[in-house]
Amino acid sequence: MIKLKNVTKKFGDITALSDVSFEVDKGEFVFITGPSGAGKTTILKLILREVLPDNGKVIFDGIDVTEASKKEIPQIRQKIGVVFQDFKVLPERTLRENVEVALAVSGIPQSEWPSRVDKILELVGLSKRSELFPSQLSGGELERVSLARALVVNPKLILADEPTGNLDWDTADEIMELFEKINKEGKTIIMATHNREIIAKLKKRVIKLSEGKIINHEHSS
Amino acid sequence: MNIHLKTALDYIMRAPFQALSAIFVLTITFFVATVLSILVYSSGKIIRHFETRPQVIAFLKDESTPESISALQERLSKDSRVKDVKYVNKEEALAIYKEATSDNPLLSELVSPSIFPASIEFSLLDLSFAEKVIEDMRGEAIVDQVGFTANIGSQTALGDVVSRLRTITLYLRVGGGVLVGVLLATSFLVLIVIIGMRMTTRRGEVEILDLIGATPGFIRSPIIIEAFIYALVGVIVGWLATLILTLYATPSIVNYFGEIPVLPRDTLNILALFGIILAVEIVIGITLALTGSLLAVSRVRRGR
Repeated sequence: MIKLKNVTKKFGDITALSDVSFEVDKGEFVFITGPSGAGKTTILKLILREVLPDNGKVIFDGIDVTEASKKEIPQIRQKIGVVFQDFKVLPERTLRENVEVALAVSGIPQSEWPSRVDKILELVGLSKRSELFPSQLSGGELERVSLARALVVNPKLILADEPTGNLDWDTADEIMELFEKINKEGKTIIMATHNREIIAKLKKRVIKLSEGKIINHEHSS
Repeated sequence: MNIHLKTALDYIMRAPFQALSAIFVLTITFFVATVLSILVYSSGKIIRHFETRPQVIAFLKDESTPESISALQERLSKDSRVKDVKYVNKEEALAIYKEATSDNPLLSELVSPSIFPASIEFSLLDLSFAEKVIEDMRGEAIVDQVGFTANIGSQTALGDVVSRLRTITLYLRVGGGVLVGVLLATSFLVLIVIIGMRMTTRRGEVEILDLIGATPGFIRSPIIIEAFIYALVGVIVGWLATLILTLYATPSIVNYFGEIPVLPRDTLNILALFGIILAVEIVIGITLALTGSLLAVSRVRRGR
């Protein structure tokens, strides 16, 4: 589903990624780990076509993302659900509206919205808070909103950038259980994290980065 | 409710003073534009009235036969210097007199149709033909006297009136056009500034929408709808204010100008005239909103 071939990315004089290659199959759950500045987020940004590589190719769902035209970028992004470390929820919209925005962006008919939103809010455990605004929610709840927004459009791939980075252990554990549940339903997940406990607990494939290079590639046991 | 319309309304509610300033400028622009449209219409009607009113009246001798009258009428109709030839018989002449003296009924009670001569009235294509045409008419056997409607002054008096009216109308059109142009430019700039501010405050939201796969059209839609709302409210309020003023003032205007049809006489025709103005203003308003919002959005996005 995802293939990175000899990808190099520099930001000025700093090499964020150097000759990185790996593949992720459909239905896989892969952790990308490493210290801060190792290039985890850059990989996610390359897949999402937020940035372009200086060298190499990024193939997603058979499409070379690096060659995509401006018109194709929204179509690629609509196939990907993203869970951000800083949640990136719309502060002036209710929880329900935040999820509905993703449906509107994907062009899903408005008549389908209520049932889809209710179902996804039930899944992430936020049914009773659907009319609250982000400022009225906790960090864990905001992460769930971000996850709900990513999942509601039934994406082919979920990218999660440090989804537990701002959360306490119990809340992070609950969120990871949700990700595991979603993966068991067949969704492909690529998660950037430096949380060793989580990686150890879930026992999934791990790509370890350091200074922009893959230093270890462990397959799930 | 459509998500883009809801978003646009939310933006308006969140910054009501920005919205009010945009609507206020647009309202003034379209109020002035509507008033000027009515003035241009009325001035055109005044000129047309003076240009097309009978300029020459040939009073006929009592012994004129219907055949000789028809023959003269036909000759005049074929004359390239002359237009709008009309025969007025004695009864019609009396009716005209009665209408003109309606404020003093005693004057009309004392007269009978027999004392009024029948006449042939016509206009000239150009006032320079007047002298020769009048001379020709005086030579006609059945014509008793020839009157010229500018008889209160000299032959050039009517020409002066029309020429002065044309000058006033030209000033009105050019001056009004410039004024409306300046106001439209001001409205356009205010729209660009307000929408630019809106885009700047929405920057975070735009980035999130961009990342979750929103197309540029999706991101632009609420902004364009917001500009449409400003333009439509501005057009309708400005137009409505002029309509109310006009309907209120019509009796006085009609009374003041008398027989000159400066405004349509019945309400339906006034509404039809205003309907045409509204349609044109809506097209202008939509064009203004569309170009202003697209320009503002493209400038802000280019600056990112």
